[in-house]
Amino acid sequence: MPTVTIDGKPYQAQLGETILQVARRGGIWIPTLCYHPAVEPYAACRICVVEIDRGGWWQVVTSCNYPIRRDLTVRVNSERAVRARRGVMELLLARCPESPELRAIAARMGVDGTPYPTVTEAQRNCILCGLCVRVCDERIGASAIARVGRGVERSVAAPFRMPSEDCIGCGACAEICPVGTIVVRMHEEEVEISPFKNRVKLKHCAECGRPIGSELVHKALADRGGPTLVELLATEQFCPRCKRKQLAKEICTRHALRDEPASRGA
Amino acid sequence: MSTVGTKFDSAEDLRQYRAHLLAQYDPAARRVRVCLGTGCTAKGSAKVMERFCRAAEEFGQESLVVQAKSTGCHGFCERGPIVVVDPGNVFYENVNEEDVPEIWRESVIGGRVVERLLYKDEASGETATTPKEIPFYSAQQRIVLAHNGVIDPTSIEEYVAGGGYAALAKVLGSKASRMEPEEVIEEVARSGLRGRGGGGFLTGRKWRSARDAHGQPKYTIANGDEGDPGAFMDRSLMEGDPHAVLEGMIIGAYAIGSSRGYVYVRNEYPMAVKHLTMAINAAREFGLLGQNILGSGFSFDVRINRGAGAFVCGESTALMASLEGRVGEPRAKYIHTVESGLDGKPSLLNNVETWANVPPIILNGADWFASFGTEKSKGTKVFSLVGKVKNTGLVEVPMGMTLRQIIFDIGGGIPDGKAFKAVQTGGPSGGCIPAECLDEPVDFDRLAELGSMMGSGGMIVMDEDTCMVHVARYFVAFLKDESCGKCTPCREGIAQMLDILTRITKGEGREGDIDTLETLGTLLEDTALCALGKTAAYPVLSTLRCFRDEYQTHIREKRCPAKECPGLFQYQIDVDLCTGCGVCRKKCPVQAITGERKKPHTIDWKTCTGCGTCFDVCPFSAVVKV
Ligand SMILES: Cc1cc2nc3c(=O)[nH]c(=O)nc-3n(C[C@H](O)[C@H](O)[C@H](O)COP(=O)(O)O)c2cc1C
Ligand code: SF4
Ligand code: SF4
Ligand code: FES
Repeated sequence: MPTVTIDGKPYQAQLGETILQVARRGGIWIPTLCYHPAVEPYAACRICVVEIDRGGWWQVVTSCNYPIRRDLTVRVNSERAVRARRGVMELLLARCPESPELRAIAARMGVDGTPYPTVTEAQRNCILCGLCVRVCDERIGASAIARVGRGVERSVAAPFRMPSEDCIGCGACAEICPVGTIVVRMHEEEVEISPFKNRVKLKHCAECGRPIGSELVHKALADRGGPTLVELLATEQFCPRCKRKQLAKEICTRHALRDEPASRGA
Repeated sequence: MSTVGTKFDSAEDLRQYRAHLLAQYDPAARRVRVCLGTGCTAKGSAKVMERFCRAAEEFGQESLVVQAKSTGCHGFCERGPIVVVDPGNVFYENVNEEDVPEIWRESVIGGRVVERLLYKDEASGETATTPKEIPFYSAQQRIVLAHNGVIDPTSIEEYVAGGGYAALAKVLGSKASRMEPEEVIEEVARSGLRGRGGGGFLTGRKWRSARDAHGQPKYTIANGDEGDPGAFMDRSLMEGDPHAVLEGMIIGAYAIGSSRGYVYVRNEYPMAVKHLTMAINAAREFGLLGQNILGSGFSFDVRINRGAGAFVCGESTALMASLEGRVGEPRAKYIHTVESGLDGKPSLLNNVETWANVPPIILNGADWFASFGTEKSKGTKVFSLVGKVKNTGLVEVPMGMTLRQIIFDIGGGIPDGKAFKAVQTGGPSGGCIPAECLDEPVDFDRLAELGSMMGSGGMIVMDEDTCMVHVARYFVAFLKDESCGKCTPCREGIAQMLDILTRITKGEGREGDIDTLETLGTLLEDTALCALGKTAAYPVLSTLRCFRDEYQTHIREKRCPAKECPGLFQYQIDVDLCTGCGVCRKKCPVQAITGERKKPHTIDWKTCTGCGTCFDVCPFSAVVKV
């Protein structure tokens, strides 16, 4: 069992675990944005960087995907690591100055603003962490949204920036988005995933006619012989509004609709 | 033994075939070689080739064997189209269609030299008949480019006749003499060859890791993406000597135990794709690719894949993602691609030029190769020499040659009597090296110490009229467009740097801008995901190191010392040179110029917008920048 020494304290680790997993277990906070245990690490936001000892020099690596293969010495709170994380946050704040979620994390990191002007048009608040795209692909299997464009022009959209026909309206993307960019809107007959303009028909309560959730999600769950929408929702005590969110969370983390089971620890 | 069209069953077959080709070769036969490389084609060499072909066809005399053939880039693109006549290796430059009948009549048939089309030395006025007498070529050392401009790249026979596939035959020779994979790797390792694609990683070491890696199949990949603006080394190799790349790959595949290969070619290189395709087909037909190569039991085949057209697709993990049919986006390399690359399998990726170095190393031995170059950078390097230099083109020199030798001896120095200011090496994220360092030797480590890098071998020469802030801005703008946008620092940081540099070049720079640029530079280097972002600030950091005062003059005095940034210098009329012709007065779009006929004119700076029309139109160069 390798030992990971973080800021001078030793921690036991499993082979193949990431630095972030070990740190979290040890109660050490490292900010993350593009990381979520439900999906494969993507290491795009770079907010989780730490320093590791490479024998003679220190390398800055992303903790969320750096695999532990032998004993490792890590610095989370060194001057360089802190400066790097704050620098990344300042760039993100210039892109998405409005997001309260982002500002909260920034504050916790000791960043209270950004020296940079807003130089690029950004999809409202989106930090391009790619979580929505990955959950839709890896967990739902719908691949209804994708990253389009490159560089600062990049954004998340359904193919050709048109409403997606593959969207099943589960809301997993909205649930997983760390900065509240994606919103699920309930209309009379349809559920809409904004800003992608995806719309899916709603299933209604047989008794009172109130909407329960997306028809396609209901069908997908039934198809794989898992708990049905109604059963899933019945298991917990939530108000109708929160039920939908709760369901999305369930799908994100526990009940992948995609074939391969995602077997990743938190 | 085999003859054409049949498969070689052994290395001996190949040897005999070569002997047969050489026996048929008539050194007295008249041959015309027309360069169909990038530069010459742009100047119309295809038409020249056509005329020669027609002439050869019409020349029905049996007693004289006449052949016109196309070759890959000769390197001396500045003087293209280039035509060489054999026997004699007579070198003609700037040949156009109309010159063809004369060359044909006098030189090819008559055996006389057409003086007016020879290379002429500017200083001495002496002409050169063969490339050897031309300084541009005489200082070069051609190992990788040895066949370029000499053989017809679409003919496997010419490659074999010139010693091609002999290295492969040596590796896969008869049972008694066969080289073990370990021996091949050892030879490459001992040669000291380092990757020519940018990083300069030791090739032998990479091969060993690939051999040791677990998992099958293993992939062997050639990186021919070459997205650097102005670079055409790899292109010229793929177009001019495609078999050399293939032969290197087959040897590498044997060494690591790989059965499948890909050549990833930039989409904008149709001729490279065509020549590689022909080479692969010919090699398959001859039993040099496919099952049981040369009867050795080793099997390997190669496919071509066209790049997705983005600069970042040249990065190893992005290239592999693109090969898998996914978006060409880099991923973390905490687990190396030699262990887990394409489809999660061990994958050996080398640059096209790296591959082309392999056959000569195997054939002539590691010691021979290591006799070229410096202590830690062996062999030669191909550079594309462009910018403010007289002889632009493709040059191959031993590692360790000084910048001065490359730029002045081979490149002929700076045109128009201007002074040298800096040379940018290493591609878009390379650095600028100032005049003080002209006598530094060019190798991987020295360039890195100078704050630049070898990169893939771009060399852009800049003269005194070049503004270094402007240069930095140009490269940063390129990188901003090419950033894939996956990671925060690269996507956002480069855009911020560009914003600052743009302000500075417009005279809107502020105190503190330089600090911010440096902060962003460190941030990118520390936190960007792939090397594009990590090195994106190098053009800025290297110019800040050597030309800091130029930045400061822009910021504090709102002045561009090189007089390149519009608005940060002024136009003035030199009273001694002005004849009062009035052209500038008539052409100025804002009527800022006044003056009587035949008397010196003046520019009213308050009205002048700095458009530079007067500067361009004055027939007496009386308009100067101040
Ligand atoms: C943005 C970027 C672009 C690159 N483009 C190329 C390229 O066009 N050709 C190339 O051979 N290597 C390119 N590389 C380097 C490759 O990632 C890789 O290191 C190289 O192909 C390995 O071959 P070598 O060991 O023979 O140099 C690029 C790297 C980066 C970061
Ligand atoms: S919408 Fe949200 S989850 Fe999707 S990329 Fe943007 S920030 Fe990430
Ligand atoms: S450094 Fe730039 S090119 Fe590389 S992954 Fe990040 S955004 Fe993409
Ligand atoms: S959380 Fe690690 S890079 Fe985003």
